[in-house]
Amino acid sequence: MTNSERKRLNGEAEEEEEDEDDNLNGGLEAWERSYADDRSWEALQEDESGFLRPIDNSAFYHAQYRRRLRDRSLVATTARIQKGLIRYLYIVIDLSRAAAEMDFRPSRMAVVAKQVEAFVREFFDQNPLSQIGLVTVKDGVANCLTDLGGSPESHIKALMGKLGCSGDSSLQNALDLVQGLLSQIPSYGHREVLILYSALSTCDPGDIMETIQKCKESKIRCSVIGLSAEMFICKHLCQDTGGSYSVALDESHFKELIMEHAPPPPAIAEFAIANLIKMGFPQRAGEGSISICSCHKEVKVGVGYTCPRCKARVCELPTDCRICGLQLVSSPHLARSYHHLFPIAPFDEVTPLCLNDPRNRSRSTCFGCQQSLLSSGKWLCGKLCTS
Amino acid sequence: MIFKLEDVTVYFPYDNIYPEQYSYMLELKRALDAKGHCLLEMPTGTGKTIALLSLITSYVLSKPENPVKLIYCTRTVHEMEKTLAELKLLHNYQTRHLGPAAKILAIGLSSRKNLCVNSRVLAAENRDSVDAACRKRTASWVRALAAENPNIETCEFFENYEKAASAAVLPPGVYTLQDLRAFGKQQGWCPYFLARHMVQFANVVVYSYQYLLDPKVAGIISKEMQKESVVVFDEAHNIDNVCIEALSVSVRRQTLEGATRNLSRINQEIERFKATDAGRLRAEYNRLVEGLALRGNLPIADAWLSNPALPSDILKEAVPGNIRRAEHFLHVLRRLVQYLRGRLETENVEKEGPVSFVASITAHAGIDQKTLRFCYERLHSLMLTLEITDTDEFLHIQTICDFATLVGTYTRGFSIIIEPFDERMPHIPDPVLQLSCHDASLAVKPVFDRFQSVVITSGTLSPIDLYPRLLNFHPVVSRSFKMSLTRDCICPMVLTRGSDQLPVSTKFDMRSDPGVARNYGKLLVEMVSIVPDGIVCFFVSYSYMDEIIATWNDSGILKEIMQHKLVFIETQDVVETTLALDNYRKACDCGRGAVFFSVARILLARLEYLRDTFQIKEGDFLTFDALRQAAQCVGRVIRSKADYGMMIFADKRYSRHDKRSKLPGWILSHLRDAHLNLSTDMALHIAREFLRKMAQPYDKAGSIGRKTLLSQADLEKMTNDGSINEMLY
Repeated sequence: MTNSERKRLNGEAEEEEEDEDDNLNGGLEAWERSYADDRSWEALQEDESGFLRPIDNSAFYHAQYRRRLRDRSLVATTARIQKGLIRYLYIVIDLSRAAAEMDFRPSRMAVVAKQVEAFVREFFDQNPLSQIGLVTVKDGVANCLTDLGGSPESHIKALMGKLGCSGDSSLQNALDLVQGLLSQIPSYGHREVLILYSALSTCDPGDIMETIQKCKESKIRCSVIGLSAEMFICKHLCQDTGGSYSVALDESHFKELIMEHAPPPPAIAEFAIANLIKMGFPQRAGEGSISICSCHKEVKVGVGYTCPRCKARVCELPTDCRICGLQLVSSPHLARSYHHLFPIAPFDEVTPLCLNDPRNRSRSTCFGCQQSLLSSGKWLCGKLCTS
Repeated sequence: MIFKLEDVTVYFPYDNIYPEQYSYMLELKRALDAKGHCLLEMPTGTGKTIALLSLITSYVLSKPENPVKLIYCTRTVHEMEKTLAELKLLHNYQTRHLGPAAKILAIGLSSRKNLCVNSRVLAAENRDSVDAACRKRTASWVRALAAENPNIETCEFFENYEKAASAAVLPPGVYTLQDLRAFGKQQGWCPYFLARHMVQFANVVVYSYQYLLDPKVAGIISKEMQKESVVVFDEAHNIDNVCIEALSVSVRRQTLEGATRNLSRINQEIERFKATDAGRLRAEYNRLVEGLALRGNLPIADAWLSNPALPSDILKEAVPGNIRRAEHFLHVLRRLVQYLRGRLETENVEKEGPVSFVASITAHAGIDQKTLRFCYERLHSLMLTLEITDTDEFLHIQTICDFATLVGTYTRGFSIIIEPFDERMPHIPDPVLQLSCHDASLAVKPVFDRFQSVVITSGTLSPIDLYPRLLNFHPVVSRSFKMSLTRDCICPMVLTRGSDQLPVSTKFDMRSDPGVARNYGKLLVEMVSIVPDGIVCFFVSYSYMDEIIATWNDSGILKEIMQHKLVFIETQDVVETTLALDNYRKACDCGRGAVFFSVARILLARLEYLRDTFQIKEGDFLTFDALRQAAQCVGRVIRSKADYGMMIFADKRYSRHDKRSKLPGWILSHLRDAHLNLSTDMALHIAREFLRKMAQPYDKAGSIGRKTLLSQADLEKMTNDGSINEMLY
């Protein structure tokens, strides 16, 4: 029985009832309430082997099905997609007043920080050649928290130290700052901005449309993930610069959305020109060698790499050499980036009907897990495309 | 797509059709078959216009034996252009499938300001001065003079058009205003007069409401429309107000001062003519004696606005003797202006019927009813005789004569209201004398009588049974359609309690309660912090808005709102409001966010009359008008199926079923029971969830089970197995 119904029944006794209701709601802890609301346990059941399975997974399968269709059509239409492997990504984190809101628990800011941490790790895992920088917006001013760099730890450390929110948010200031920073990077790098926007308004010093235009001209791909509701200007920004705009429903959805930005996006067509890039493959220094590293300006023993051009010592790969500016990578990094260019071919659907066909007998089990496709009963399960 | 609708083959320019469009066409077709009027309500954003256009044009194509002309009335020039653009698309589609047989002529007609191509005329700033600048160059006497004296300026486009005479025709096609201008420029013909000429031959005419409803304009533009026409009033939820405005006149102090200036100018002219060309005045006098008010058929460029009274009410008699002479007429007008000035001096609000008003004029100024009645035509004739072309200067005296004619003609359905000051600012005297019409059916009656079918359509016509009573006609079809949606993109809610659980209402006895104002303020503060971009906040009246904004300002609520969004306020000044709206839009677009405080007006003066004449109860009309305003306010929330919006009815009176049920069906169908009796914090929670849900990517085709776009194959299948009927009802 909802509050309103109860009230209607009780009519006059409304006032007394009021306090009781509040207690009733207040009795639940904040974290309990969200579970109590959607009664998530009712959507689960135990199967014969004791696993919990969702009852109604049609929505899930539908979404999966659509994603596969989309993937396939993408492959079909553009036989050769170019992808930016060397990405220069700025993450703009909105730390305005709105980031303190408690609708994500414990607060939007904390959730954002947590997911950014996960994202940064995932990002470097998938794009070892790329670099990230962090920008925060607070009190209407954008600050560069960390410069572009390839080390996840330093970014995360810098971010965790700087949490705290106040004032208004300004999209224009953030874009201006990022645009200035990104316009210096070499032309083969793919410039991207990912804005995690909590606020619902932007307090700008000038005309934001000009800034958007400037971003478009310098080929910066701007994507926004909103935390509360859809804003017209963000949509406009993303449409104009070729980015994606999404709004998070809850924390898990937010995680999903931010992780979508980890694999490299298709390159903007007019920007995708072939380029030769100079790279160095430094040697790992011997165990006991002592040298001064160029990144921390300290004497270090052991682990380190030597730039093949100027012989400077750096602590981590990938990075740019501090002395001669050469891009330093290791060959596994290069190889790991490579799989984005040659993704696994999409799976074909196998219908149960087709499995009954004697010619296909041999393929009635899954190649990977050896489970029977028939017994799982899920016709969406696939087989490897052999072409 | 092409499909059969009973015995009509409909050509629809898109591949898919919404189910509600289909049923809309069906109802419309039945009304056309019955040759009767109809009333159709369908939400905005469902493609009313294209459904209407394609059905009516297809109807004509399928039944060539009775060619029907379509007269499409829109409220604004912008809507007119949009309609014509849709029609163009449709026409291209039809000619592609049917060949040249489907060719039609469709034109948009607007004022000179929108159609003129003469750069020197267009330099004038407003509509009236463009009209006057045009007259200065095209009036018959000016052209006659120019024939002798090449220094007198004429308009080359008009001259060319006149020279081409009957050869000046538009080839079939669809012409937007811009196309007309381009065509006129290219041919060197005046697009305005060309369009006016072509109106009688066109298959489709798109123009403004006024051209049919305002007797002053309708008399010269729409006189020759055939009876076999379908008249469509689009966005017609305010049609009764348009009708009323067409027959209402308001006189201010400035009007009277201007009229006095006009009179002395006319006097000078008369003196001048007496000295130079006394024969003209005498000729006019003789003509009036013979009972001819006008000089037969005027050349098209000389035609002036016609009589403000409805054609059937105009006396076909000679002008009375006491105003036949120009000087005498001038005296009459002087006395009338003097009398009105005296009436404006009043200290209290006065309300009077036309009969007693006329009686008082007769007693004090010695002008009888019949003389008043002829004021307009007499002035018209005099201006022509005096060859006055700068008509924009003479607007004031025209207003006075309009007033006199209407007051002399009508004894019922009008009242005269004199207000010494604006009710918001009682210290500043700003007297207004209004002749206000109460009966919307007066102005619209000739339209219903004359044309075969009249279609009244809009997104919000609820309650649909009241319109026929207000406008006094009998529709053969009146229906309200729902919108088929792929997602619940409107979220109406009824908020009855503030955050402190006390009821909120703008009911008269609760208005001044500070708690209510505070609760409303809190609601708005919370809303601005969770709703992105724009919020429009409607108040019941200007005075209430002023009062509440002052309270909010004192208690700091306004400042809190400003932290999140800019605040814009509607005022009674049109220019200011336009500016505010413009900036509001800009603020929403650039992400700053804005709140617009607006007023949903409610007129009270008509109540008594409506009760006496149409047996509409005062309470009923008040509820209707208030809810109509509310429905229109919130009805604008979406313009297409991809849009979404929230509407909050923050008044405890909405929780009553009898009030709420007057809202349009398509809003009611989305009003869930759980959203009926909310307090501020519950409303906030719902709003937050709703906005998040709506921000998710939009699946246009509709997911499984909720099909809202029908293809041709779907439609055929459904017609065959009869399931289309169950979908419609």
